[in-house]
Amino acid sequence: MLEAVLFYLFAGVVAVSGLAIVLSRNIVRAAAWLLGALGGVGALYFLMAANFLGAIQLIVYAGGTLVLIVFGVMLTSRHAAAQARPRRWEIIAGTAVCALLFAAMSAALLRTEWSSDANPATGGYPIAEIGNELLTTYLVPFEVTSVLLLVVMIGAAYLARPERK
Amino acid sequence: MSTRRTLQSAPDLLADLDAEAMDQGKLQTEEMLINMGPQHPSTHGVLRLVLRTDGEMVLETTPHIGYLHRCAEKIGESVAPYQYVPYTDRLDYLSAMNNNHAWSLTIEKLCGIQVPERASTIRIIMAELNRIASHLVSLGTYGLDMGAFTPFLYTFREREYILDLFEAVCGARLTYSYITPGGVTDDLTEDFVDRCRAFLDYFVPKPAEYNQLLSYNHIFIERTAGVGVISPRDAIAWGLTGTCLRATGVKWDLRKCLAYDIYDRFEFEVPVGLPEGGVMPVPPGMPPVVVPAGVVVGDSWTRYALRIVEMYWSAHIVRQALDRLPAGEYRAKVPRTLKLPEAEIYFEAENPRGQLGFYVVGNGTSIPSRVKVRGPCFNNLSIVSHVCRDCLLADIPAIVGSIDIVLGEVDR
Amino acid sequence: MMNRAPVDILRPRWNPAYFRRAQRGLALVTLALVAGAVVGRLIAGALFGGHPPALILLSVLPALGAMITLAGLAALTFWRPIARFLRRFAVVVFYAAVVGLVALVWVVALAIDRVDGLARAMPGGELTTDAIYHGLPAAIRFRVVSWLLWPLQFPIVRDLIALVGIVGFINLFAAYAIWWERKVAGRIQSRLGPMRVGGWHGWAQSPADGIKLLGKEDLIPAGADRVLFRLAPYLAFVPAVCGFVALPFGSGWVFRDLDVALVFVLALVDIEVLGVILGGWSSDNKWSLLGAMREACQLVAYEIPMGMALLVPVMMIGTLSLTRIGDAQQYGWHSWLAFQNPFAFVAMVAYFIASLASCKRAPFDLPEAESELVAGFMTEYSGFRWCVFFFAEYAAMFIVSALCVTLFLGAWYSPLPASWGTGLANGGLAARAIHGVLFSGPLWFVAKSLFLIFMQMWLRWTLPRIRIDQVLYACVQVLLPLTMLVVLGQTLWQLLVTPGSAVAVIANVLCSLAGAVLLGGFYVLMAHGLLHRRRLVGALAVDHLPGA
Repeated sequence: MLEAVLFYLFAGVVAVSGLAIVLSRNIVRAAAWLLGALGGVGALYFLMAANFLGAIQLIVYAGGTLVLIVFGVMLTSRHAAAQARPRRWEIIAGTAVCALLFAAMSAALLRTEWSSDANPATGGYPIAEIGNELLTTYLVPFEVTSVLLLVVMIGAAYLARPERK
Repeated sequence: MSTRRTLQSAPDLLADLDAEAMDQGKLQTEEMLINMGPQHPSTHGVLRLVLRTDGEMVLETTPHIGYLHRCAEKIGESVAPYQYVPYTDRLDYLSAMNNNHAWSLTIEKLCGIQVPERASTIRIIMAELNRIASHLVSLGTYGLDMGAFTPFLYTFREREYILDLFEAVCGARLTYSYITPGGVTDDLTEDFVDRCRAFLDYFVPKPAEYNQLLSYNHIFIERTAGVGVISPRDAIAWGLTGTCLRATGVKWDLRKCLAYDIYDRFEFEVPVGLPEGGVMPVPPGMPPVVVPAGVVVGDSWTRYALRIVEMYWSAHIVRQALDRLPAGEYRAKVPRTLKLPEAEIYFEAENPRGQLGFYVVGNGTSIPSRVKVRGPCFNNLSIVSHVCRDCLLADIPAIVGSIDIVLGEVDR
Repeated sequence: MMNRAPVDILRPRWNPAYFRRAQRGLALVTLALVAGAVVGRLIAGALFGGHPPALILLSVLPALGAMITLAGLAALTFWRPIARFLRRFAVVVFYAAVVGLVALVWVVALAIDRVDGLARAMPGGELTTDAIYHGLPAAIRFRVVSWLLWPLQFPIVRDLIALVGIVGFINLFAAYAIWWERKVAGRIQSRLGPMRVGGWHGWAQSPADGIKLLGKEDLIPAGADRVLFRLAPYLAFVPAVCGFVALPFGSGWVFRDLDVALVFVLALVDIEVLGVILGGWSSDNKWSLLGAMREACQLVAYEIPMGMALLVPVMMIGTLSLTRIGDAQQYGWHSWLAFQNPFAFVAMVAYFIASLASCKRAPFDLPEAESELVAGFMTEYSGFRWCVFFFAEYAAMFIVSALCVTLFLGAWYSPLPASWGTGLANGGLAARAIHGVLFSGPLWFVAKSLFLIFMQMWLRWTLPRIRIDQVLYACVQVLLPLTMLVVLGQTLWQLLVTPGSAVAVIANVLCSLAGAVLLGGFYVLMAHGLLHRRRLVGALAVDHLPGA
């Protein structure tokens, strides 16, 4: 029972935060709401007993990506209330696309057979298994990701290099 | 570009973005005008520095002064020389004895007053003790600016003993009005010589402590070595005097070069800035100061270290003065209303912060018709706009602190 | 009257009218609560058949409330003798309070233990107060005690008590760490630190400061983003508190034994960055913004060497669970992970330096640099909000020190091997207390963390501040390659050196000796300073020169 209450609570947090991000006029506040959304998703991971995934969600998203976004926002908007006012045709197009997407996703979700006896990983030591899988089955995506990150770092260092006078 | 339409309420956002620069892949960040002061923990007094920065880099510095202006020069036109002595106290309030000394020497030269030798010796003792006290404050607050909180309290502990000595002779701890035209206001107390000797014995090992704690600390060297380098040419061109000038390698000290008062009877050397590996000369019996790697002549570390060496030499001079203190009068017989001749004089003395000059125009009465104060910190501060360019924000306290200004003298 | 110091005249006097009103109010409330307790007992007996929750809610809680208000009334009425007593016996009171708190925590843990044992003995279903009553030792067999212990069988109640304990610990620790830091700073600077408030060495300085800060005006700058300005301090404080959820204080003294505890704590320390950035941004102050930017830069940069240094003990034990890593160090000084091989030792030093940067402590305290940016991102914060930021900093200090202790320095085990104390561990109450003091227990954990925090304070008041570009240089060009080398070295060590072989034993012995020598040297320094404090001129007071 407690689990259900907590699930609805955190799912509500994620949903409200998501809406607030989209509807917020102030960019920095939108970034703060993003923290709520990402944190809520992390909490949902913990509820599903995916502890490692929840912790990594907090580190990578809330602690890394969000900091990067907030940094970018802080450095590029001069006024705290830099507002983006969409025009009417953009609102209509956006709503239409969202409605279509929502319909498609609900249809997919409602048609799927969710087996009710799916258990979270119990017994054993899931982190060791994750590590093993990363280095055996999923080795190629792992290495490709690291190469991608290397490319990103080089690009950032190049862009931020000091000008030669 | 679609971004132009949506961010309409912040049009100046894109004013800095140059289309060509964007094509070349250069990232434009915006410049900020940062106002440091007048109330700020690390501008030593009410100084306002307007910094034009680009992120962490300072592009341009403009000092704004005048917040402590108290019309010292105008007041000189309405009071007699004796009455002006307390006003000189408050110019550079950390070295009040030296200010009094410079003013008294000016008036004595103008009026042709001969000062007895005991009075001159007492004056030199006080001036050099005040030099030590002033340098202690400078070192302590410089460490504080750099984030080292502890040396500040150690230097002020030493300074307490000096202030105790001053309080014994004249009753005041900061603004003494002790050295007046004609001599000093009162003789030394009976135990002054013993106490002064005891203080010097206590004090001489202390700068080695400061060296261990701060001067040779790797972090401190990283923050001050090579920062704010001033060339000798620039120093002379901008009118720098005192430690700032000597740190650039120019051997110029009025106590040696002009030998005013009776400084020619004392043995001391004038230390100047040396490149890395150089050994700064110290009096016999005191540990030498070796310049560490990374230090450039004329940078902030040199200015800081030179003050430590000057403290050693001042202690040496005081010891000599105590040894040769003659008996006699502590002041000359000077008339109560001193009439200034119809002449003018400009006289400079070596203060801890530079050369303090007084230009007095007498007109036959007891009140001068013009008093001009040449404050060394005013000229020393002027180089800030030249030096604090293309440096990091954290270098500003390092440079301004090493130039060692007191706003009382800058603004008068 | 005759012995009062003249300055007492300047002390503020309370308004007598308010004083009497407070006394009357407290007396009324006490009487009401006592009456309520009696009536509640009757109602609970009559209507609910003596069911424990009803008893507790209607009778025990009002009785406890009455006791508290009665104590308040007594304190208010007899404040003069109490103040005199406190002033004379402040030392005793201070240490008694510390011992009392420790004893309180211990008693609560024992109660939970006892109820747990009884609940397990029950075949199933709820534990009744009768069962508890009969399960109590004869010394404390009272009905009231069984009513008090009845809720402890529910996990949610135990969780709540543990949470209260954690939050209480954090607040007390942060408050007294501030006092301790001021004393340490004073002693290092050859002065005394707070001496007045509370009589003995200013021990009441922290509560006094807290009360003052609570009463300050709630200032929000005009152009600030009000919501984010209010939110930021809590964004910095709450993750620090949440980090304590996974932190084990002793065997079985952990709120939730997570199998990813280490990553969880690191993740939460990570989120504090956001609180600081948003605080600096929302202050509508260029200086705060600069401070926030520098802070974020520094914190995010130093997380990498921190994480890599923490990989070393993880590799050694093969688990991310803090309890298991702690339990692996129970075999005495030489089994502590820092002394296993030189790479672990260097990893500990590297982690300590990186954690200094992550707590924004000197020499990495550029974001709070007073002399440069006034107070960095905290410039516009005053009053209670500033207090929350400060508490967040001290809580983070404790967490990173606790991580270092758990992963490198033996967690909650003493330098003596735990196997020597198994007899004590299974004995009676007194034996278990001695075991906790000698061999393993939360006291050791807290003491070791406090030692590391003292190291942090020592460094803060000795070293100057490093510039931001030098900070980042140190991180990327010195610490990061160092930690990478250490991780590589540890990997090779684990692959090539079999545990128990000559090389491993020699490395273990050498590193343990090095650690022992360093610790011994520290104590020798402390003793020297303590013994010769009168000889060092001006060390504690400004002595006057001869003839003065």
